[in-house]
Amino acid sequence: MIYAEHLRKEFKKIVKEPGLKGSFKALFKPKKEIVVAAQDISFHVPKGDILGFIGPNGAGKSTVIKMLTGILTPTSGECRINGKIPQNDRKKYVKEIGVVFGQRTQLWWDLPLQETYLVLKEIYEVDDAKFKKRMAFLNEVLELEKFIKSPVRTLSLGQRMRADIAASMLHSPKVLFLDEPTIGLDVVVKDNIRQAIMKINKEEQTTVILTTHDISDIELLCDRIVMIDKGKNVYDGSLHELRENFGQTRELVFEADDDSGLTEEQFRKSLKLGKEDLVIERDKNNFKVRFNSAKIPVGDMLSHTLSVTKVKDISVKDSDIEEIIRNLYRQGEVSDE
Amino acid sequence: MNKIRKRYVPFMKAGVQSLIIYRMNFLGFIIGGLIYCFVMFYLWRAVFDSNGGGMFLGFSMTDMVIYLFLSNTTSQLTFSSVSNDIGEEIKDGSIAMRLLKPVNTDLSYLFNELGGVLLKLVIFVIPMILGLEIYRYCVTGTIMFNAINFLLYVLSAILAYIISFRINLCFGFIAFYVKNLWGIGILKNSIIGFLSGSLIPLAFMPEVLRLCLEYMPFASMSYTPVMIYMGKYGAYEILFRLGIQVVWAVLLYGLSKLIWLGAIKKLCVQGG
Repeated sequence: MIYAEHLRKEFKKIVKEPGLKGSFKALFKPKKEIVVAAQDISFHVPKGDILGFIGPNGAGKSTVIKMLTGILTPTSGECRINGKIPQNDRKKYVKEIGVVFGQRTQLWWDLPLQETYLVLKEIYEVDDAKFKKRMAFLNEVLELEKFIKSPVRTLSLGQRMRADIAASMLHSPKVLFLDEPTIGLDVVVKDNIRQAIMKINKEEQTTVILTTHDISDIELLCDRIVMIDKGKNVYDGSLHELRENFGQTRELVFEADDDSGLTEEQFRKSLKLGKEDLVIERDKNNFKVRFNSAKIPVGDMLSHTLSVTKVKDISVKDSDIEEIIRNLYRQGEVSDE
Repeated sequence: MNKIRKRYVPFMKAGVQSLIIYRMNFLGFIIGGLIYCFVMFYLWRAVFDSNGGGMFLGFSMTDMVIYLFLSNTTSQLTFSSVSNDIGEEIKDGSIAMRLLKPVNTDLSYLFNELGGVLLKLVIFVIPMILGLEIYRYCVTGTIMFNAINFLLYVLSAILAYIISFRINLCFGFIAFYVKNLWGIGILKNSIIGFLSGSLIPLAFMPEVLRLCLEYMPFASMSYTPVMIYMGKYGAYEILFRLGIQVVWAVLLYGLSKLIWLGAIKKLCVQGG
């Protein structure tokens, strides 16, 4: 469905030295510098998948999305979506895709929202029956009725974003590109938007590429993630695999009845674990035991804990995906230096 | 055709809508133009007076008034802000959203503006012509309105608008290379103002310069329609001038397409 092969994008940038003097210098003798926004990015997405496309700020996510949607021409490399090269026949190609850039709007700023949809209906040549059905569906999931008659410029961010998402889905696109669709939104609106994405993906096998900084978006929506950093692929695989490979840390949280002399050394000794495989954080009677589940199965850990102390409340937490990603980003920084 | 209408008329509506919402902008534009006309009027009257009245290079004072007001009105009618629009869209990166719609970029810009052009024709140009004819009647005592000339004027003005639109499109696409168009825009407007004869009638310029300018596309933007309206051209010359306009419209169409093809590869969407 979506193939990206060794995408690379360079920009020329004029470097300006600081201060007025620097400005003058840049005016008469501009020093140009080539900025590589995407170095070498490859991945592919099968039909009907939701791909989480993540990476720290400035990793080149938006640049890649812009190349995939045909706005930017790659310096080298190739992308193919639906068997089409986006840059070759822009008009035909964009008819098959839906795009949301969280920081921009595709709605007509001065028109009432409803009009925008009518305009889009004509532009994308959606027939009346389909349009009606579609609007009913979008209304239901995204709750547009309340503000559908207001001009777009008067909408709140949450309303606007919902409206934008609806606009991108109106023509039943085969591929949906969502660049930070949940940026700056509250929990309820986020949930609305996730529902819409999920439904449309399930019902129409829409392929979705989603960039986000919100980890729960990824946990809830994505089958797979591609992580990039500094314009290069860092990770490509399922969320499950990411956990397996990078996050075998589990957390055992409990409140002990009494302080029966629980210490890190004791735990390590009796379970035969090294320093890096088990850490205990303690706040009065509340314990947090972080351990490597590859070395000791969760069950053994539990039974051991229960055997050494009486507990009031106990739970095991999966490793936090956010933590893993944070580690991966950091690794990138370290290897860079 | 029907398809084009359905698809692009919304762009026109959106254009008109924003004109109505930001109507002071529109009004200011027109009033500013009028004030400018009056300044030019007094300036030229001083020139005519110091010349002892009567004819000046084939223009009577009445002719001059008609010329000044009508050429200004016409240049406002055929004025295209599409280069500014493109410049703005490039500066803030919203050009991306336009490129994501399955529409022809040129046509979407054209229709965006067309609504405003029609509005200007109805609420500005036609009343202006009416006013000028009344003025002419008061001064000369005869009705000099010529319906055929008026229709030819409209035809020529439409061609003038197309030329102006294409020139501005070419300028706008330069923004793909230079990122910010403001300075170049000022340069462009002063060049057009001078070369199109809306500052000084081309007829007043030295022979060689006049001949050169009359064949340039800028003259077609307001000078040609106004001269046609004023009946300064014979039947044969009208055809010839209209022909020049058509040739320029076609040439500039080709040029804008060419620049576009190069520019789109250069595009760098700023921000976000």
